[in-house]
Amino acid sequence: MGKRRQQVRLVGLALALALVAAACGGGDDGGGGGQQQATVEKGGVLRTAISDFGFTNGFDPTGEYVAVAIGLYGAMNRTLVGTKHIADAPGNELFPDLAAAEPEISGDGLKYTFKLKPGVKWAPPLDRDVTSADVAYAFQRINTAPLVAQYGFYYFGTIKGMDGKAKSADQKISGIETPDDSTIVFNLEKPTGDFLYRVSMPAAAPIPEEVGKCFKKAGDYGRYVISNGPYMIQGSDQLDVTSCDTMKPISGFDPSKKLTLVRNPNYDQATDDTRANYVDGITVSVDTNIDDIFSQVEAGSLDSSISDQPPKPVLQRYLTDEAKKPYLHSNSGDRTWYITMNWAAPPFDDLHVRKATNWVMDKQGIQQAWGGTTLGDIATHNIPPIVLGDKLTADYNPYASEGNRGDEAKAKEEMKQSKYDSNKDGVCDAKECSNLVLINRNTPTFADSEAVVVASLEKIGIKVKPRELASSAAYTTIQTVKNNIPIAMNAGWGKDYADPYSFAGALFDSSSIIATGNTNYSLLGLKPEQAAGFGIKYPEGVTIPSVDADIAACQKIPNTEPDQRNDCYANLDKKLMEEAVPWVPYLWAKNITVTGTTVTKFEFDQFSGYLSYTQMAVNNKETIS
Amino acid sequence: MSQPALEEQFEPAAADTVVAARARSSWELFRLRFRQDKAAMVGAVMLAVLVVLALAAPLFSRLVGHGPNELFPDEMLTPDLGIPKGPNSSFWFGGDSVGRDVFVRTLYGARTSLTVALVATGLAALVGVSLGMIAGYRGGKTDTLISRLIDIVLSMPVLLLAIGLASVCSISPNGCLGGLLQPGLTLVIGIIALFTWPNMARLVRGQALTLREKEFVEAARSLGARGYRIMFKELLPNLLAPIVVYATLLIPANILFEAALSFLGVGVPQSTPSWGRMLSDASAGQIFTIAWWMMLFPGLFLLATTLSFNLVGDGLRDALGPSER
Repeated sequence: MGKRRQQVRLVGLALALALVAAACGGGDDGGGGGQQQATVEKGGVLRTAISDFGFTNGFDPTGEYVAVAIGLYGAMNRTLVGTKHIADAPGNELFPDLAAAEPEISGDGLKYTFKLKPGVKWAPPLDRDVTSADVAYAFQRINTAPLVAQYGFYYFGTIKGMDGKAKSADQKISGIETPDDSTIVFNLEKPTGDFLYRVSMPAAAPIPEEVGKCFKKAGDYGRYVISNGPYMIQGSDQLDVTSCDTMKPISGFDPSKKLTLVRNPNYDQATDDTRANYVDGITVSVDTNIDDIFSQVEAGSLDSSISDQPPKPVLQRYLTDEAKKPYLHSNSGDRTWYITMNWAAPPFDDLHVRKATNWVMDKQGIQQAWGGTTLGDIATHNIPPIVLGDKLTADYNPYASEGNRGDEAKAKEEMKQSKYDSNKDGVCDAKECSNLVLINRNTPTFADSEAVVVASLEKIGIKVKPRELASSAAYTTIQTVKNNIPIAMNAGWGKDYADPYSFAGALFDSSSIIATGNTNYSLLGLKPEQAAGFGIKYPEGVTIPSVDADIAACQKIPNTEPDQRNDCYANLDKKLMEEAVPWVPYLWAKNITVTGTTVTKFEFDQFSGYLSYTQMAVNNKETIS
Repeated sequence: MSQPALEEQFEPAAADTVVAARARSSWELFRLRFRQDKAAMVGAVMLAVLVVLALAAPLFSRLVGHGPNELFPDEMLTPDLGIPKGPNSSFWFGGDSVGRDVFVRTLYGARTSLTVALVATGLAALVGVSLGMIAGYRGGKTDTLISRLIDIVLSMPVLLLAIGLASVCSISPNGCLGGLLQPGLTLVIGIIALFTWPNMARLVRGQALTLREKEFVEAARSLGARGYRIMFKELLPNLLAPIVVYATLLIPANILFEAALSFLGVGVPQSTPSWGRMLSDASAGQIFTIAWWMMLFPGLFLLATTLSFNLVGDGLRDALGPSER
């Protein structure tokens, strides 16, 4: 999944009330609630494990973009507005968290004024009130180039004075005012309907300057994160903040081994109505052996898995054993997995080839390789239905085939019309169709899917050379434009928040094409004059389609008009599927969590897509030593 | 059994016994000794069978009507979860996690394993013998240089390098080093050769060091022979026995090396059937706990191959130089 997370939906906000219901499809697969056989009591320790934190920025909230971290921040840090950390549509609604109430928004939508709640304090060793300056400081960090705020694009060019180019975090931002300790005002460049979603992201949570100023490189603050929420890193109180030199990493966190969270003694439950905080502590151990994680959950030495997906034998056990079934939880991950085709790399500069690839793909085979319908639904278009407010569902399937096994005849029909099939037999015969590098990951699910993809492509004469790389290497390879990778199947995208822009902007807008770290893999909207700058050749006799204008048009529709906004993005998705064809979307993945019998209350956090640390209860009587 | 033999020896010598008593050539001696080694013969027969199976893989594939990369999801996978189904009359070794025929893939896997092992060992022997001989014979600075190079190569982290090379060579369709190294088979061969020649070189260097002081080398030198002539005409024939023995024992090690690389996902791509890769697929997510056949058959073949090479290697060692026992 590389990066990208979350979704959120506005509710508590008066203006947004109406939209919510429409916008969120709602979970159908029993994601939420969970077993409740025992009474829910406070206490115990939620013991979890993960194969790899996979941090993209060392757990520094300013730059960290991995869903697992975003889930943990929910238990540690409070944002101006936030979700209730629960499953499905209700988990997409925003409520005031650090803010005392909904913000005051100016009539032109350019000015947001938040009042902070009294009584929210920093954890030890700071023991002081959270102020509006702390919030402003978080934005100053986002704006600091060396700190590499990975989703800074949500703020740059949106908040006045933010461009992500500041050299140091002590540089104030012209568009953010703090008239007093409990008031913060944001001045925007343009009306931004989803602005509240953007301030609910963890990078926008306050950071105390007296600690934050000591960490000037990306990721360094990650081992010193000071909480203002219900839980803090164990040993936070031992941090010596008298000067930058006296600070040593907080003892309860070693990114390669374990994160231990304990209750923050300065947290006042009365100030928070979005979190229940049943457990006394949370442990996340790193266990590279995924099989072992699930064995431990079954054996009772762990309470829950987090982001690791159960291997097929485990899945089979839980699905077939009635006694175990209630402990397998499934939630919409709001994520699309797809094969991406590069417009600048023949033969994919030919729309017919792109359509033929969509027609021929055996999506059912890929789904089986993943582990069947429990792990995901077959994707029939790019943006998951829930993110589009169900304005476009799986009923829209422009490349439908029997049993989703691929339609070879239709694929060949398309291929015949392509310039790469000179004898018009429906099988590509040009040299451009052979020796194509296909980037993939080297994990079992992907390697198995690869067999299916390769076999499908061969039916229309596309012969690939699969390259199986570790996840991060695979991403780096396709995110570097000059590599000009023709086709890749390692990529997936999950929403950051419950608005289609968190798909469309980064994935299909030409403004997001950058030399490295590019996420518009198919290079939609690439202009001939840009190609040379990236070190690639613009395809001859072809105009790469652009959907920039369509995205801009949708962005003009405020979030207060969700039906219209989602309709607009649904139309964009249709245009993508039929006219630009950047991808072969194949799976809308679900997230699976397995819990032990010690868990008396289970809850998903729709914001991170994984379990909710603040809403789960256990009866294991464990304590943190 | 010894009794009649003794008696025979005391029989008056017939004309043909005299002929039989002539000095046996070293080749005859070798064959005799090797044939008497039952374990080695068993190994040789197993090896011959494996080679035949590997060569005949396409025939078997045609016989059962399944290609090595052909998918049979409807026949061999459960509809939803995609759990592989076990052996039956048309899929003798069962199906794998995407519904391919394990039997056909196992046979094709023999080709991969044998190719990788033979080519990599050959390369390693070529480089190792040449450099080892030069180092041993020349001595001095040349020796120091080559010996240090051996030390450096042996101290490199094999897997890190393999993973790094695999990534670097994956970006262009032509691999790296001008297409010399392609991710997959050629890269695996390259990596194995790179890390196995030093041991061969060390062995040869040590032998060459002793041999170069022998009288026959002196004699050749006094007749005016120089450097490479002495190395290749005088030293090499005398080194042949240890080289052959070591190479034979290196082959099974290299088969396992390939399996290990493929197991770790830096070996051959999954479209190339390989035993290591099949074992890796079988252990992924412990699928073997519900699909034992995915692990059993390639595992058995791997075991049989390495065992037979080891048996043959041991036999060769004993037959070529009994003193080395």
